[in-house]
Amino acid sequence: MRKILWLLVVTLLGGLALAQPKTISGYDSLGVVNGKPGGSLTLALSSAPQTFFYYGAIDSASEALANQLFDGLIEYNLKNYQIEPALAVSWSITNGGKVYTFKLRKGVKWSDGQDLSADDVVFTYTQAVANPEAKGGDSENLAGVKVEKLDASTVRFTLPKVAPAFIQYMRLPIMPKHKLLAFSQEGGKPAAEINNAWPTSVDPKEVVGTGPFRLVSYTPGQKVTLERNPTYWKKDATGTTLPYLDRLEYLIIPDSQAQVAQFLAGNIGQLNITGTDFPTLKQREVSGAPIKVVQFRALFGSPPHLAFNYDAKNPELAKLFRDTDFRLAMQFAVNRKRIIDDVYNSLAELPGNGMAPISEWYYNTTKLLSNYDLKAANAALDKLGLKKGADGIRLLPSGKPLEFTLTYGSNSSTFSAIATILQSDFKAIGVKADLQGILAANLLSTGRSKDWETILLALGDQPDPELRTPIWKPGGALYYWHQSTFPASEGGPPQFKNFFPWEKEIYDLWDKAASTTNFTERKALYDRWQAIFARQAMVIMIAKANSVGAVSTKYGNYIYDLGVIPGYYPVPLMFQR
Amino acid sequence: MQQPRVVCHALEALFRARYPLTTASPPPGRRKKRASSMSTLASSTKRGTDRSSPLYLAWRRFTRSKPGVISAVVLLILYLIALFAGFLSPNNLVTQHSEAVYQPPQRVHFMREGKWVGPFVYQLEKKRDPVTFIVKYQENPTRPTAIGFFLRQGERYSFLGFKTNLHLFGVAQTEGYFFPLGTDQFGRCLFSRILVGSQVSLTVGIIGVLISFSIGILLGGISGYFGGWIDNLIQRITEVLLSIPRIPILMALSTVIPARWPSTWIYLGIIAVLAFIGWAGLARVVRGQVLALRDMDYVTAARSLGAPDLRIILWHIVPNLTSYLIVSATLALPGYIIGESALSFLGLGIKEPMASWGLLLKDAQNFQALNLYPWLLTPGILIFVSVLAYNFLGDALRDAADVRSD
Amino acid sequence: MWTFLLKRILVAIPTLLLISLLVFAVIQLQPGGFLQNMLDDPRVSPETVARIRAQYGLDQPVWEQYLGWLKNIVLHGDFGFSFLNNRSVSSLIWERLGWTVFLAVLSIVATWAIAIPLGIYTAINRHGLAANLANLIGYLGIATPDFLVALLLIALVLSTGGSNVGGLFSPQYIDAPWSWARLGDMLGHLWIPLIVIGLEGIASLMRQMRANLLDVLGQDYVRTARSKGLAERVVLWKHAVRNAINPMISLAGLSLPNLISSTIIASIVLNLPTIGPFLYQSLLDKDQYVVMALLMLSAFMLMVGNLLADLALAWADPRIRYE
Repeated sequence: MRKILWLLVVTLLGGLALAQPKTISGYDSLGVVNGKPGGSLTLALSSAPQTFFYYGAIDSASEALANQLFDGLIEYNLKNYQIEPALAVSWSITNGGKVYTFKLRKGVKWSDGQDLSADDVVFTYTQAVANPEAKGGDSENLAGVKVEKLDASTVRFTLPKVAPAFIQYMRLPIMPKHKLLAFSQEGGKPAAEINNAWPTSVDPKEVVGTGPFRLVSYTPGQKVTLERNPTYWKKDATGTTLPYLDRLEYLIIPDSQAQVAQFLAGNIGQLNITGTDFPTLKQREVSGAPIKVVQFRALFGSPPHLAFNYDAKNPELAKLFRDTDFRLAMQFAVNRKRIIDDVYNSLAELPGNGMAPISEWYYNTTKLLSNYDLKAANAALDKLGLKKGADGIRLLPSGKPLEFTLTYGSNSSTFSAIATILQSDFKAIGVKADLQGILAANLLSTGRSKDWETILLALGDQPDPELRTPIWKPGGALYYWHQSTFPASEGGPPQFKNFFPWEKEIYDLWDKAASTTNFTERKALYDRWQAIFARQAMVIMIAKANSVGAVSTKYGNYIYDLGVIPGYYPVPLMFQR
Repeated sequence: MQQPRVVCHALEALFRARYPLTTASPPPGRRKKRASSMSTLASSTKRGTDRSSPLYLAWRRFTRSKPGVISAVVLLILYLIALFAGFLSPNNLVTQHSEAVYQPPQRVHFMREGKWVGPFVYQLEKKRDPVTFIVKYQENPTRPTAIGFFLRQGERYSFLGFKTNLHLFGVAQTEGYFFPLGTDQFGRCLFSRILVGSQVSLTVGIIGVLISFSIGILLGGISGYFGGWIDNLIQRITEVLLSIPRIPILMALSTVIPARWPSTWIYLGIIAVLAFIGWAGLARVVRGQVLALRDMDYVTAARSLGAPDLRIILWHIVPNLTSYLIVSATLALPGYIIGESALSFLGLGIKEPMASWGLLLKDAQNFQALNLYPWLLTPGILIFVSVLAYNFLGDALRDAADVRSD
Repeated sequence: MWTFLLKRILVAIPTLLLISLLVFAVIQLQPGGFLQNMLDDPRVSPETVARIRAQYGLDQPVWEQYLGWLKNIVLHGDFGFSFLNNRSVSSLIWERLGWTVFLAVLSIVATWAIAIPLGIYTAINRHGLAANLANLIGYLGIATPDFLVALLLIALVLSTGGSNVGGLFSPQYIDAPWSWARLGDMLGHLWIPLIVIGLEGIASLMRQMRANLLDVLGQDYVRTARSKGLAERVVLWKHAVRNAINPMISLAGLSLPNLISSTIIASIVLNLPTIGPFLYQSLLDKDQYVVMALLMLSAFMLMVGNLLADLALAWADPRIRYE
């Protein structure tokens, strides 16, 4: 008996010496207190997960689940989005920013009891992330990167060239090699086989992670149930192992109205909503319902913009749309204040140009965005020689009316409202916009096609501009408003001959910013880019919506969370009162 | 082909069925069902009195149905409103008033400081609740605005080819607004939008039903009557048509129809599309009935007398389906009125800033509107009233056409 | 009879082929798709998209994709692969089929069980108060879009403090084993979808039944039956109703594919675990083999329904013969 006790003490001590739990503290300003273990929380998923394997799909539901089931080497500070240790306790960047060496946290276990090791990290990055056939991989950004195991708890990444945002890719979830080897090239399978790992019909026990929760069951199309991972490596300030919650459930509810209903009925504990739903819910809160509705300025999220097709099929329109003076004139007719007020219920702010206003990379362009001024718009259009015809519509040089289609997402209340307001204001300056509604899901593909003249589109903001290179760097895959800059052949260089001088300038700025890791230097370059963006009205940014969340007062330590951002994990702190 | 003429026949058959005997002389070997009405006709012509003519009898049966008469009156009023929409609406349907978004209906007052001063409204003042961000309006007692009649103001609208800006009522634009049913998200007058929207909603169903019923009756009739390979072919066509799902077709269409098309073209295009998809189900039912009737004595008699097949189908068999057809037609109408709003969900329907009842009702379909802006449900009430009227009218017509109901 | 059946089945094969061809063409006409939308994610480059397109054979000519799909069905009974779910289409459909069939059958049965007697009642008591009331409720059903009805019912439940605002179960019962409590919970949820899905159907069936029955009641053979001194009950049920139901049978045949494609929007609002929303999402994503399989299933059911209706017609109506 005594022997056994001794053995226990020794193993415990040994375990403690080895284990390096991370203490989560310092979030008092976010209202975080010490919680109590137990309880369960139900959240909503907007669609059924397509797979449980993060790298097997681009799918928000799978991403949301992965955030609870897995961890990356690093993660975000919940307050300021600064990078903090996660599965890696420390790292060093050497050789001019080309070599990243990560020390793994000791004592981290997979939920099936196996130890996390450097092999898992190497496996994840070589077999999944860098796998060009993996649907949810990121082979482009890991191209040429050498990933090596130095010892059981040290991994080294060697980059072919400096990549300032490389550390951001270290947020990606680490996968268990011992479970996934059989689907990998290393395990003798074709590269594409990795996509078949952990389909939704998999035995939940197979889905093994290091995250705060582990998978219990999935009822197709209805519900995903997770339970607490008792060996999770995070602790709160008092040393209690996180997460507090015993169970985390996701109800699959595609319709946003149905989500609100389920939240009001008490079937969902926390829900992300939009500005449209804010007044109704806030009113309930004020009148005593056990809910809390909060709003924050948002770092993530997709601010809508109005783009003009520089390569419109109608050459006269294309010529006009390429003209910065024309775009600036049109910008005078964009009533941002009214859109923020009426469409977003005041729950939005003036947009940044490519970066969210609360981002550290933001350059204040509000002065360059111009105020709503129909007189100025009219004057500017007059100056361009676009005279008004008999019916009040301006005439193009050919004598045809200045008329174009405005494509928008017809099943999105935000987009259709913005489109209707724009159409009305454009009419007032003699410009006829014909609304062309398409399903919001098809907006991006339409934008990348040639079949549009102007379009309302929204692309997601990211914490580092480098991550959005394909959108904002001329010639990128999502620089869709000037498609004649697209590479002539896939993977080739952009067609520089079609660049405007200011586009060339942006291109060079981005090139330069991508070759240094010095923050101040990069910031200066990206500032310059944002100023050019605004001055040229490359596309017209409309508004940046606030994040709005609603939570039942049953729960404490609520921190707003999009749910799908790798590296941002506030749920383990939530507890049931 | 001679399809248009055939369609006319089908319509004629429909009308003949409703009003059993009009000027056309009955073909030989007329269907059995008519036997009693034939005798009525025979006796009435003998007596030469109007009072017992079948048409008169039908009319009497119809007028005896109170719901039927009321419905007819209601529909008449609705169509008159649609015709005079521009004149009756106090505001322009596309003008946005950003200072009056989601304004509730304004109350009409008559007394001010205890004295009768005629109809007037108070101007409302907008305030946003600082906590809930709910927009609230309050009457400003210092700003009474008289409601005037026969005002000439605002943009011109066209009425029967004339351009005019005469409005039945409203308040002078210089003095403020009058929104009898409140405003929508853009501060547009809901009342005016409903009136103008009725032009679309009250016609979309009728035209759609006419198209789809013509095709459905004709092809269903042919299919059931001839049987054999023709039946097989037509039935397979209906199966193919019914199998091809509507949503993907409409989604594909929404990218094909040019945005430049004026609203009326799109509107007609949509009706045509809806109707061309919509006939197949009806054709199935008609076929089933025709199958049951084609070997009845009066049909074989007509055939043996050498009546052309098409004539037999349309004049002898189809009229037996009158009841069913009237009822299905009145039932199909709301489908078109509402269906048109589902199309706008796909970006296909009536486009902003034009209006239709279905499109207007779409604005009310969220909790925010149900809780805070319930006046947005008014178009729903109008849809209900019109559907009710159509259906009661349909029932009354059916009963009136039913000669044996006395 | 048997030759008729055999003939119909033989004809069904080319029809299904034609439908599959048309449906495939329609899907190809759809804009967008999951490949294009992947690009919004910072992880994805156009090269990745091209590689995945090749992986799924989407870079091949359309007719080759079609023939390949067809070949797999004929040779292996394999209805294809869901690009998005990395799984076979049939297993995905299978997962969702149970509740879909349950709900559809239940709502069809409920609709008919309520509508036909009501139709008969309103035909017999044409001007009665109860009949007019039934009509009125029916009209309300057809005049209101089903998703508005759904929303109003949800708002009603919420205002009374209820929690059964969507789905078929409360969250804790979704994955629980069957028990009386679970059954009770389901019944507490079931009435909303039944009203939403059924209301419109009840109204139209009821009105059509009323009209048909009124027609038949005036026919000579009914009069003859009456004059022969048969009990009114016998006349009504044995002669009149049986004949009046003919057009309804044709309609019933058409309601079978509703299992899959009808009330998609209402199912989304009510968060029902049926195939409809799955089909809609697959369409948006252009997950083509999922859409193909579902639409072919729908077409197949339509043909089965039509065939059954034709047989039922012949059985119910002695005047109909198929030679």
